[in-house]
Amino acid sequence: MTRSFAVVTDSTADLPDEWRDRYDIEVVPLKVIFGKETFRDRVDMTDEEFFRRLAASNTLPTTSAPSPGEFAEVYRRLAKDHDGCISIHIGAKLSATAEAARIGAAAVEGFNVNVIDSQTVSMPIAFLCRIAAESETLQQAIAAVEQRVPKCRVLALLDSLRYLEMGGRLSRAGAMIGTMLDLKPLLLVAEEAQIKPVDRVRTRSRAIPRMIEFFRSEQPVEYVAVMHAQAKDDAERIAADLRHELPDHAIPLGQIGCVLGTHAGPRALGIVYIKK
Amino acid sequence: MVAAVKATGVDGPLFKRALLGSLNWLASNHEEVNRLNVFPVPDGDTGTNMLLTLQSAVEDVKQSNAAEVSKIAKLASHGSLMGARGNSGVILSQIFRGFARAVEGKSSLTPAELAAAFEEAANAAYRAVNKPTEGTILTVAREAGRAAATAASGPDANVPRVIAAAAAGARAAVLKTPSQLQILRDAGVVDAGGFGLQLILEGMLKSVEETEPSLAALVDTNRSISPASQVSMTLPEGGWGYCTEFLIEGANLDLDVIRGEIEAMGNSVLVVGEPELVKVHVHTDDPTSVINLAGRYGKLMKLNVGDMSTQHRRILETEGGGTGTGPPRPNGVGIAAVAAGRGLVDIFRGLGVDAIIEGGQTMNPSTQDMLTAIESVPYDEVILLPNNGNVIAAAKQVIGLTKKKVHVVDTRSVPQGVSAVVAFRPERPASENLSAMKAEAERVQTIEVTHAVRDTRSNGLRVKKGDVIGLINDRLEFAGDDYAEVVNKALGKLGPASYELVTVYRGEQASDDELAKLESEIRSSYPSLEVEVQQGGQQHYPFILSVE
Repeated sequence: MTRSFAVVTDSTADLPDEWRDRYDIEVVPLKVIFGKETFRDRVDMTDEEFFRRLAASNTLPTTSAPSPGEFAEVYRRLAKDHDGCISIHIGAKLSATAEAARIGAAAVEGFNVNVIDSQTVSMPIAFLCRIAAESETLQQAIAAVEQRVPKCRVLALLDSLRYLEMGGRLSRAGAMIGTMLDLKPLLLVAEEAQIKPVDRVRTRSRAIPRMIEFFRSEQPVEYVAVMHAQAKDDAERIAADLRHELPDHAIPLGQIGCVLGTHAGPRALGIVYIKK
Repeated sequence: MVAAVKATGVDGPLFKRALLGSLNWLASNHEEVNRLNVFPVPDGDTGTNMLLTLQSAVEDVKQSNAAEVSKIAKLASHGSLMGARGNSGVILSQIFRGFARAVEGKSSLTPAELAAAFEEAANAAYRAVNKPTEGTILTVAREAGRAAATAASGPDANVPRVIAAAAAGARAAVLKTPSQLQILRDAGVVDAGGFGLQLILEGMLKSVEETEPSLAALVDTNRSISPASQVSMTLPEGGWGYCTEFLIEGANLDLDVIRGEIEAMGNSVLVVGEPELVKVHVHTDDPTSVINLAGRYGKLMKLNVGDMSTQHRRILETEGGGTGTGPPRPNGVGIAAVAAGRGLVDIFRGLGVDAIIEGGQTMNPSTQDMLTAIESVPYDEVILLPNNGNVIAAAKQVIGLTKKKVHVVDTRSVPQGVSAVVAFRPERPASENLSAMKAEAERVQTIEVTHAVRDTRSNGLRVKKGDVIGLINDRLEFAGDDYAEVVNKALGKLGPASYELVTVYRGEQASDDELAKLESEIRSSYPSLEVEVQQGGQQHYPFILSVE
């Protein structure tokens, strides 16, 4: 498949390896920092290894966006055999990645880089990348992606609040998720990367049906995937349920990477989708 | 006519004396009533609850010099309603209410009218209870009324005889309660609430028979047993101000007008009473203006101004500060919950509860305590969680006492309360929240571990004072001498296969070792259960467990 423009994303897109290879998508890694050690997300450390360390560590790792220089390097390389680029990234409200991409792009003269703030996280970005990669022209790719940005949703069921809290990504009071009890919050990342509490449940086995029930109320959807952080069995069961209800959808399974995993915590589950 | 009736009738001063006498007699004997609690658990004791309710009934009566029995009865009815604690206290308040209705408009009662009022009081209490049970205070109230009516129809009927007959009828009915209720028979006791009512009637009789009741002594008696329950709450921004309370004595006082004026000057406003005597309670930043305003209506009495910011600072310091409330709720619904123990208070606040009424297991909060908390919630619709079976009735009384729309979810334990709050969603209307909260509360199982406060037999178990006892959903199921052993048995009885999570609320008395032992035993006996430990800080119950 020959395409005149390049498609770039970052590691928070949770892009399956198979899609990356098939659609020739460039992935710029964010970083995970355990104490003095820095790892490139999904490059220097596998997801399994990451979650093993996360569970064993008393302090949470920190995460950081790629530098503008790293983006510039990628764009410079791509400029050699492409006449333009669409670069789709994690919501600017959640990470400095898109901003770094913009600054990096400005440093590369003569190459048309279109940085898209996806306003979301995880596999909706992977879907956007695939839609871009399947477009015939860069203009069509940009239009197709921009039209879907406000329709991306991540419905996430966290197993514990500890990680999100320590990462400072959510106001607990606003979400009414308490300061003492270990509740299982069901959260929705909606348009403009707004994190909204959907429900709070005490046990996992009752939270999963709630998640599916909420997803049902969001129909119709154009794309849907099920995400997990070291909870493949649960994710497979959810995907099987959804396939039964939505026979026309493929419903792939995706793994939550290290950077998102730092905030979502182990055993997190997600139904991610783009609304019609 | 007036003079003739007065000689043998019950007028205001006589009824006031009778009430003071009953308070005195109950105060001296309420521990006897407490000892009759069927359950060997350190619960809100019936005797204490009735005494505090009666104390509240008599509080305003003491200040009144009304000549008419109807006015005294109405004050007692108001006071008992506001001070009602526990189920027995609530029923007592309904008895006063029925009595007050029966004597409405009367300045003095003939013996026959007094007997009829006793009977109507019992009827009112029956009507107030959903499923009246025989062998309780209700039966005793009815039998007292019947005996009074028989005495009143006799040829030489007079007031002391009618009261004496009522007291004797009550005593006979109390003695019969074990034959009417299996749980009393098993425990070998008579009904505590019924016995409390007997004491009240006996106290009335004593005061009517005595020629010179020593009122000064009465005041001292009840000073020593003032309620310890404390309301901690979240007030809107703008300061805590002063809790200002007083009575206005005057003529043709218009409650609505006064309430309107006071409401403009503060919050948690309560204006109750009669055209001659009005009780005012308000939280204000400017007590002087309130007092000046009220002074225009009449003579102020029992003025009491308390600096709430001092109290508030203390609460904030001990509770670690901050409230759990977030941005304004789209549904406009607030939550108030009864909780005792620092950890439990924090847990409820963290889940979004706007006002905490301190109390529960041992000190049941009064209707007034809950009303004050509800008035402090910055929403016009409030869901109230009693979190104790013995608080539900008093909680329901609040519904008619405020302009706010109050809903009570019948939570009978801390775990039920927590589950109910967890189910609350700020964007959902109250009706949907109520059904979701009720369903969640019913889903959770509660295990409570405490020490027996007396020897007893209950639910087929023989229990010695001091034994560790385990209750499942308020029912005594196991006794032993070790917390972990009792909890293990209780979990076994629930069937761990159907549950996933055990939350352990650790009480004040439980040591680190006891907690560690409990945790490790649950984990080794039931490896499939997830165990979460929370510092509840509750008294008397070393462990409360929620199983779901």
